[in-house]
Amino acid sequence: MLLTPNAMSPRLRWGLYSVTGLIALFLLLPIVFIVLLSFGSSQWLVFPPPGWTLKWYQQFFNNPEWMAAAFASLKVAVLTTIFAVALGLPTAFALVRGRFPGRDMLYGIFTLPMIVPLVIIAVAVYALFLKLGYTGTLFSFVVSHVIVALPFTIISIINSLKLFDQSIEDAAVICGASRIQAVFKVTFPGIRPGMVAGALFAFLVSWDEVVLSVMMASPNLQTLPVKMWTTLRQDLTPVIAVASTLLIALSVLVMFIAATLRRRNEARMPS
Amino acid sequence: MSAVIKDVAQQPQTLVCLRNLNKHYGDFAAVDNISLDIQDGEFLTFLGSSGSGKSTTLSMLAGFETPSSGEILVSGKSLVNVPPHKRDIGMVFQRYSLFPHLSVRDNIAFPLAIRKLAAAERNKRVDAMLKLVQLDQFAHRRPSQLSGGQQQRVAIARALVYEPRILLMDEPLGALDKKLREDLQDELRQLHRRLGITIVYVTHDQEEAMRLSQRIAIFSHGKIVGLGSGYDLYQNPPNAFVASFLGNSNFLRLKAQGNAVATFEGQLLSIRLTAGLQTGQDTLLMIRPEKAQALSVEQAAAQPLQTGWNEVSAKVGEVLFLGESQTCAVLTQGGTAMTVKALSAAGMPLKTGEQVRVRWATADACVYTQWAESDLNKAAGAH
Repeated sequence: MLLTPNAMSPRLRWGLYSVTGLIALFLLLPIVFIVLLSFGSSQWLVFPPPGWTLKWYQQFFNNPEWMAAAFASLKVAVLTTIFAVALGLPTAFALVRGRFPGRDMLYGIFTLPMIVPLVIIAVAVYALFLKLGYTGTLFSFVVSHVIVALPFTIISIINSLKLFDQSIEDAAVICGASRIQAVFKVTFPGIRPGMVAGALFAFLVSWDEVVLSVMMASPNLQTLPVKMWTTLRQDLTPVIAVASTLLIALSVLVMFIAATLRRRNEARMPS
Repeated sequence: MSAVIKDVAQQPQTLVCLRNLNKHYGDFAAVDNISLDIQDGEFLTFLGSSGSGKSTTLSMLAGFETPSSGEILVSGKSLVNVPPHKRDIGMVFQRYSLFPHLSVRDNIAFPLAIRKLAAAERNKRVDAMLKLVQLDQFAHRRPSQLSGGQQQRVAIARALVYEPRILLMDEPLGALDKKLREDLQDELRQLHRRLGITIVYVTHDQEEAMRLSQRIAIFSHGKIVGLGSGYDLYQNPPNAFVASFLGNSNFLRLKAQGNAVATFEGQLLSIRLTAGLQTGQDTLLMIRPEKAQALSVEQAAAQPLQTGWNEVSAKVGEVLFLGESQTCAVLTQGGTAMTVKALSAAGMPLKTGEQVRVRWATADACVYTQWAESDLNKAAGAH
């Protein structure tokens, strides 16, 4: 018996629907909550909000510190994305196409940052940069974020590279393209979904990263999550809810772009 | 003098030369010391089961695999150190391998764009190709919007547009259904005749090999075990492997009693004159099912055995009606299984359990003195 919605008794079906709904609610509620609070008029984050206002948004956009943090976040995330893709692309090629001893172990090493507790990586990177005198620089932010973003980029490029029929690249070569030309003209367009997904992942990882960033931050360079964290410790202002909302909004936007691209790509290549 | 010149002109020119070609992966010899001359303008097929070395040989021709040793010459020049993109060879792959992000037109134009051909010339050639493969109306579609047969035609156009001297085809019709495959086989044959290009074709489908090629090279365990026209290879297989690989065959185990006589289950048979046969030597006789006749006892009595023919007694096992033909499985007195095939129109009014006389012409049966037991049960087309 297949457990499809049509084959189920109505009671079981509605039972499943409500459980699913509850889980979705459980996952969404904090987000809905914080977004509503960012528009609430209460200074003390009272829920439900006594009234509605945009003044916290005004405060956020008029505060140079918040704006600097948002801009720093954007800058770090964009640079992290660029470097994660630039490094992830050749790595993925080596791990998929390469025939050398220790390849699988290398794959394990590259994906390790996904498993190792973030705080351990943070302490290690912090100790290193402290010694080198790089803490609080853009460089240290980007390097530490690339470390944790790279596994996501590599995995998503590897997945699309494995799906890409290499004989298409061979066809380009036999047609007269050098291997490098074939890779750029045929393989890259072919694995673009994976590259785009990898880039978006890298952006998102960096965009809401807080553990590493807290370690790397200095008074004159901090990202939005760090600014939220430090502000939170001093006072509980609804501006934090605004920052959260903007953080979430951009993440949702990025995911929406990813989903749209994926759907368009599936429409293009049905098989 | 003029006779000499004429003779030279008619002699087929060798275009590709494979000399003692080897490809080893560790201890495994994927291609084992192959030497082969491919004539200019011929349609040659590499036929073999998977793992027989046919695709590896093609891959070395294309340049995707480097030979472990040996030489590949095209017009006398070595190709071994020429990278694949400079070999000026066209290739059609099994899974079409079209560029999914480009339109049909841009797919076909790709080799010309890479060669930086002027736009006007490029368009002219692409148009000609689109017309050749009858895809003019589909020029702006993406490959995914085409059927399998159309995609393969695009792949062929893409491989021909830069006018390579050699076209390699690696099981290009394998993914298509039977009817479409036969249509495309006809198109390919016409294309070959019209363009005069040299085609090296790889397949495991012997019917396809027969339909398409002027010559067939049969691969087994990295070696070429048979080379010739489909007709010659079928009618006079050079060895028991080719006999059993191509089509169906009956094998009888004989003991030679001279150069033209042998005993089969104690009965004397005449065989083709074969030099160097020792008395008592184990010999293998191969008879194609359609070259043998099965006669009922009454028919046999009414038709005396002609000279140059043999006859053995057997019992009918099973009669199968296959549409245009009928097969009859029989068992000789000594327990050798044979199959006799006749056109349905000729009629074979036999019933299971009846006694029959199986006859064949001595000239139609091939004699082998060396064979491996494993050669004798290559089911037709199986791999």
